[in-house]
Amino acid sequence: MGERGAAAQLRWAIFSIIAIAVTMAFLFPIYWSFSQSLRNPADTFTVAGFGIPWVNFDPTLENWLDQVGTPETTRALYNSTVISVSAAILALVLGTPAAYAIARFQFRTWKNQDITIWFLSQRILPPVATVIPFYLIMRSLNLLDTHLALILINATFILPFVVVILRQTFLELPVELEESALVDGANYWVAFWRVALPLAAPTMAATGLIIFAFSWNEFLFAVAISSQNVITIPVHIAGAVDTRGVQFWFMGVRAMVAVIPPVLIALIAQRYIVRGLTLGAVKG
Amino acid sequence: MRWTSRVRFLFLAPAVVWVLLFTIFPLGYSLFIAFNKIEQTMQVERVKEPVLNEAGEPVLNSKGEPRTRNVVIRNSVTTTEFVGWSNFTRLFSDPQVREAIQVTSVFVFIAVPIELGLGFMIALLFNRPIMGRSALRAIMILPIFATPIAMGYSFFTIFYEEGGPLSFTGIPWLSDPGWALFSVAVVDIWQWTPFCFLVFLAALQGVPDELLEAARIDGASAVDILTKVLLPLLQPTIIIVLLLRIAEAVKLFDIPFALTGGGPGVATQSYSFLAFRTGLRFFDLGYASAMAYGLLAVVMVIVLFFFRRLRQNYG
Repeated sequence: MGERGAAAQLRWAIFSIIAIAVTMAFLFPIYWSFSQSLRNPADTFTVAGFGIPWVNFDPTLENWLDQVGTPETTRALYNSTVISVSAAILALVLGTPAAYAIARFQFRTWKNQDITIWFLSQRILPPVATVIPFYLIMRSLNLLDTHLALILINATFILPFVVVILRQTFLELPVELEESALVDGANYWVAFWRVALPLAAPTMAATGLIIFAFSWNEFLFAVAISSQNVITIPVHIAGAVDTRGVQFWFMGVRAMVAVIPPVLIALIAQRYIVRGLTLGAVKG
Repeated sequence: MRWTSRVRFLFLAPAVVWVLLFTIFPLGYSLFIAFNKIEQTMQVERVKEPVLNEAGEPVLNSKGEPRTRNVVIRNSVTTTEFVGWSNFTRLFSDPQVREAIQVTSVFVFIAVPIELGLGFMIALLFNRPIMGRSALRAIMILPIFATPIAMGYSFFTIFYEEGGPLSFTGIPWLSDPGWALFSVAVVDIWQWTPFCFLVFLAALQGVPDELLEAARIDGASAVDILTKVLLPLLQPTIIIVLLLRIAEAVKLFDIPFALTGGGPGVATQSYSFLAFRTGLRFFDLGYASAMAYGLLAVVMVIVLFFFRRLRQNYG
């Protein structure tokens, strides 16, 4: 037994080391940006290798203070936050009742699964197919470069996540609670609002965070719609390159500013991510 | 047992109306545009305008006449002309389109198989008892959510050929056309392998231990277990992940935008990138809409190919 235990322990150690190495490799690009954000301009070019603070270079917070204080960056942070929060709330408000309807009610002419796939097909649609008409429509409504235009479009493309994830959630809730409420004389709205919704609240919160992150990261529509007023964080990053060439140390700060919120969300909403990203097609 | 009531339409209606308004209507509009040639021209007019003082009265010059200044008025004028199928036929003879299709398909053929294969291998690794598994898993997830455009620029500094962390390899990551497309694929692989890993890990953890135990007792080798037990069991998951990855990968846009700007030359100009530039940078809107419909057709074919599997998953 001892021999076998030792062999198992060796295997455990070897596989652990491989797993740690793989994880570090995947973390490296994010770490690299972080490391650059802490460097003096001179250090970004002279230091080859992997940039470990206090080993390869003396870290400084100067880039952070310089960048995060600029009105452009604070404005972009404000825009991204307003747009993503509004779009996420809007998508939850529109999508949750629809998810409930597909999970609980029977539709005949269009079968429930076809309605689900109809919503899902939204997500698979190439965004470049809708960006041109959307741009023209917003131009004729005089809504180019407004928060509203980006809130509308972001809500549209995150809506399928809400429908498909919450549909699965409602299917997994015990239907008996709602049915006994109905027997007690409640109507469908009360059964949804008072019984099902509180039970689905944790998944709704997680879904809200995930779709917030998707809106935060969205670039194609943001760059098409914005010219001055509604520069979001991704557009802000892209714009910096055109005007000044790539200044690695500032780019590091901006990349971190962009990446930190969605990455924190990924850590918080971990449990729900598989279902979210596969649109509920795979449980987990 | 599912309920029936007319109320069900009230629950469903807001989302359906929303999709009709913001997806179906734009797509219809775009189809109309695709049959037209839309041109935007700037009309520049010069007019003389009287100069006013603070009280709003005309200012007079030394001769006692109202002073004027020249003002340039720019008007953007859009003309629409029906051109039938010509935007669509133009697609077939446009060398730029051909190149963009090639770039996109090579990218998909490099990135997607590696993402699935690597993701599966890492999932097998993490399915074993290892140190700090849940913490490592949490870190592995992060790339999926890291803002693509930001990471595109971040990778630009990683691939930087004079002093970047990969410069020791001597590989022309961004300056050689072939390598540049590969570098674009590397960023995508970095971002989406964790997604494949995560889904496969969830699926692997759903495989009952007794099944594997029984196979081992029957003397099955590790390879047998993989090919005869795990792969067949995970097949539905693999198909869904494959569908989602292909459907996402053909939309490639953010990474070349940030990493290479489509270059060198047009070596990394993806189809979406070309359609975006044609429409919203060169304002050849009719042609760009036709291009977008070409991509839409391809994606539809992919989805229809997987349709039966999708219906099962959402049953």
